[in-house]
Amino acid sequence: MIPHDILTLYSAKMIEYGIAIVFLLLFIPFWKYVQGPSAAAVPAHPRVRQPATTGADWFPIPLGLLFHRGHAWARPEPDGLVTVGLDGFAAKLVGPFAAVALPQVGTAIGQGERAWRLVAGDGRAVEMLSPLDGTIAEINADLARTPDAAHVDPYGRGWLFRVRPQRFRANSTNLLSGATARRWMDEAVAGLQRTLSPELGALAQDGGLPLTGMARVIEPDHWDTLARTHLLTEDKEEANA
Amino acid sequence: MTSTTARALPSGGWVTDKIFLGLPFAGYLKSLATPGNFAAGLIMAVGIPVIVYRFAYGLGASTNLSQTNPWGIWIGFDMLAGVALAAGGYTIATSVYIFGLKEYHPIVRPAILTGFLGYLFAVLGLCADLGRPWNLPVPLFISWGGPSVMFEIAWCVVLYLTVLGLEFLPPVFEWLGWKKALVLATKATIGLTIVGLMLSTLHQSSLGGLFLMAPTKLHPLWYSPFIPAYFFISSIAAGLSMVIVESGLSHRAFKNRIDHHVNLDKLVVGLARGASIVLFAYFFLKLQGVVDGGRWALLATGYGYWFLVEILGFALLPSLVFAYAARRAKVTLIRWTAAWTVLGIIVNRLNVSVIALNWNSPDRYIPNWMEVMVSITLVTLGISAFRWIVNRMPVLNEHELSGIRGS
Amino acid sequence: MKLNRRLFLKVTGAAGAIAAVPPATARALTAEEAAAVNSGRRGVLVDTPKCVGCRACEAACTETNNQPEPLRLDDPAVFKTVRTTDTRHYTIVNAANTGASAAPARFIKRQCMHCVEPACASACLVRALDKTPTGPVVYHKDRCLGCRYCMVACPFNVPKYEYDSPAPFVQKCTFCADRQLRGEAPACTSVCPSGALTFGLRDELIETARERLYAKGSKYVRHIFGEHEVGGTSWMYLTDIPFETLGLPGDLGTYAYSSLTQASLAAVPFVLTLWPPLLMGMYTFSKRRDQVAAQEAAAKETSHD
Repeated sequence: MIPHDILTLYSAKMIEYGIAIVFLLLFIPFWKYVQGPSAAAVPAHPRVRQPATTGADWFPIPLGLLFHRGHAWARPEPDGLVTVGLDGFAAKLVGPFAAVALPQVGTAIGQGERAWRLVAGDGRAVEMLSPLDGTIAEINADLARTPDAAHVDPYGRGWLFRVRPQRFRANSTNLLSGATARRWMDEAVAGLQRTLSPELGALAQDGGLPLTGMARVIEPDHWDTLARTHLLTEDKEEANA
Repeated sequence: MTSTTARALPSGGWVTDKIFLGLPFAGYLKSLATPGNFAAGLIMAVGIPVIVYRFAYGLGASTNLSQTNPWGIWIGFDMLAGVALAAGGYTIATSVYIFGLKEYHPIVRPAILTGFLGYLFAVLGLCADLGRPWNLPVPLFISWGGPSVMFEIAWCVVLYLTVLGLEFLPPVFEWLGWKKALVLATKATIGLTIVGLMLSTLHQSSLGGLFLMAPTKLHPLWYSPFIPAYFFISSIAAGLSMVIVESGLSHRAFKNRIDHHVNLDKLVVGLARGASIVLFAYFFLKLQGVVDGGRWALLATGYGYWFLVEILGFALLPSLVFAYAARRAKVTLIRWTAAWTVLGIIVNRLNVSVIALNWNSPDRYIPNWMEVMVSITLVTLGISAFRWIVNRMPVLNEHELSGIRGS
Repeated sequence: MKLNRRLFLKVTGAAGAIAAVPPATARALTAEEAAAVNSGRRGVLVDTPKCVGCRACEAACTETNNQPEPLRLDDPAVFKTVRTTDTRHYTIVNAANTGASAAPARFIKRQCMHCVEPACASACLVRALDKTPTGPVVYHKDRCLGCRYCMVACPFNVPKYEYDSPAPFVQKCTFCADRQLRGEAPACTSVCPSGALTFGLRDELIETARERLYAKGSKYVRHIFGEHEVGGTSWMYLTDIPFETLGLPGDLGTYAYSSLTQASLAAVPFVLTLWPPLLMGMYTFSKRRDQVAAQEAAAKETSHD
């Protein structure tokens, strides 16, 4: 051990006090630096970072669409018609489509009413709700040939039909977009996560994107009922089907 | 079998649902075939026989410990560094429940789990190191060596492990669905947090206090009457950094389990700010210690340079980088700095216990491969336990029962 | 005294003869030793100039502890290396590193110092190593966990560990505590032929030592090693050559090592008392702050209605 003689002690004490004062002088600007300019350097929530696509990692939502809680979307076009389709959540929930039964041109549809049917490989069908009021002006002919386009590219090639709207402004008060749509999608995803959580069949053990046909994996025997529950077309009278 | 909520699920029985993740047994076994599990299995295939060998043939056959160097990496790394890095449990719990920083609530549970497993495996590492581990009940129930710092550590660690276990009961009860027990367990949170902080203050500092008994053996730059304070304060930085590292790894590994509402990056920036301040103060405290002991002349020696590497490279520099990265919200840089700080804590603990201890003895200690293997195996077991629990219990996300929380 | 060849042979011969005799009958206790045995703190004064290096003490020790004989008992070349005690040999005699070959040979017996306030006993979390009131630091092996903190704490590196055993114990000199309880002197001091080892009451031994140090014409270094080192040791040393050449550590303070940890241990009840009110205060403060903020937010909303 280094012996302490009195002369070293004097210089040691002065240096100690000196270091303490230097620390105090440095601390105040350091604290200010660390705390940063108020609220400016808050990192954006990863979901908000990319402007083009938003939404939960699982189901990115393209901007510019209006969403119905039954997981259908509506996009007003420049020519006055509105294109309608189903969203990624519905697509992944039900899985590959054997057929998509669309209403005929000229049919009148109402917001919140059953409008079309998705048929899966095992023959079971799930209906979905229309996001707006109007008359069918045009349907996507490709879906007759390749129904799975609606499953693989629900926002692009898989559009379902185009509608001449009746009361679009009134309808859109019931539709979600932007931040509210993202929150709603997160809730839907979270709801699905909660059912998935103890059951990892649909997912790799340590993460990874969901495979398709999630409803079938969660509830193999009654997947259509589960899917209808999420797509809001579950009818209580049909509960025991 | 339907309902209008998403809770209608086919039940394969309690064991299938809770243990095998709802998969049939064969399916569960198949799902275990991941590269991570393979690596862990390989490590355990080597490590577990080594542990058996150590207990069958004694410390002399399995370690490089000697009469001059009675403590090696099982104390220096598994015990000392393990306990320091498990400090995230008390730091986050105190921040959330005592200081009221509620925005950090989402990371309380993983922090407490990391803390619990960290302490558990530190104790297991200790059992590997003890010559007669079956006498562990003696200092608790049979013979009390009050003046011993080691005695205080033994009691504190046992009590704190219990506290951490109790603090982790809410997610366990949510997993099991025991509502009444959940309410009770949640009520105890504030009390447990206070007791936990108290115990942590005591044993984090006492682990450093052990070395007060070795003034002739520990190099003067590291020997200081303030070692207990150094260990406690660095444990705060260690805990915060470990939480940053662990949350980053968890969010990547358990992507499907995390609550996507939580802006983890924002929390990480906050933790980085805290770590920066703590490390800044810690650096100056270490400097003060050197001056107070009249030892600044030693800074010009070989060990002096290593000491400067420790305090400049692993305390001051990470503090400044944390500050810069936090200010600019550079989350990736924060994560790397956190890993570097974790390394720095390990370096410091190894310095005090193995590298700077017996620095002037002709007989120096270097661990052999078996000691390293046992340490690696214990860490792997800890990580595996973490993954097992997170894959089943609501640690990274909220459970439907979590609304029952009282406070 | 100068050790010439004739005396050396005589003494080694005597040592051999002595080693063959069981220590209990080696020599009757002197009056001083008898007094020490029955009261007070005992110690041993090691007068190194008197030691002839016969190693009878080593032989007596291993005999009384049922241990294998010391290595190379008849071979003076054993002094070429500096040895340490080990798990099977509680005491050893080393030659001092005097350098000059013509200088008188000096020997030093090393063993547990049985400190007045032992670092090992204060370090032991189960009191396996325990200081008895009369002097010996004894080892209760049934309590030991094998944490080896005693080995870290001892400034003389005395405790040795049975690393080769799957159920190891700490091994060190016991000061023949069991013999002392029976009223006998330790084995080593009983067989020393040259009077280098004197067993008695520690206080009286210090007086004896002072007399020798300050006697006219005395060549001793005027310091009793162990009188104050680490707070005092039961085994004390005199020498007429520098202490470092005997291998005794020169950097020990005069404070007991147990005092080193007392400040930090004193903080324990302090923390246990202060932390709860402090933390409850912070909790209440932050809760109150949240309540006030919530009230203000609610007030703002109602004022907008």
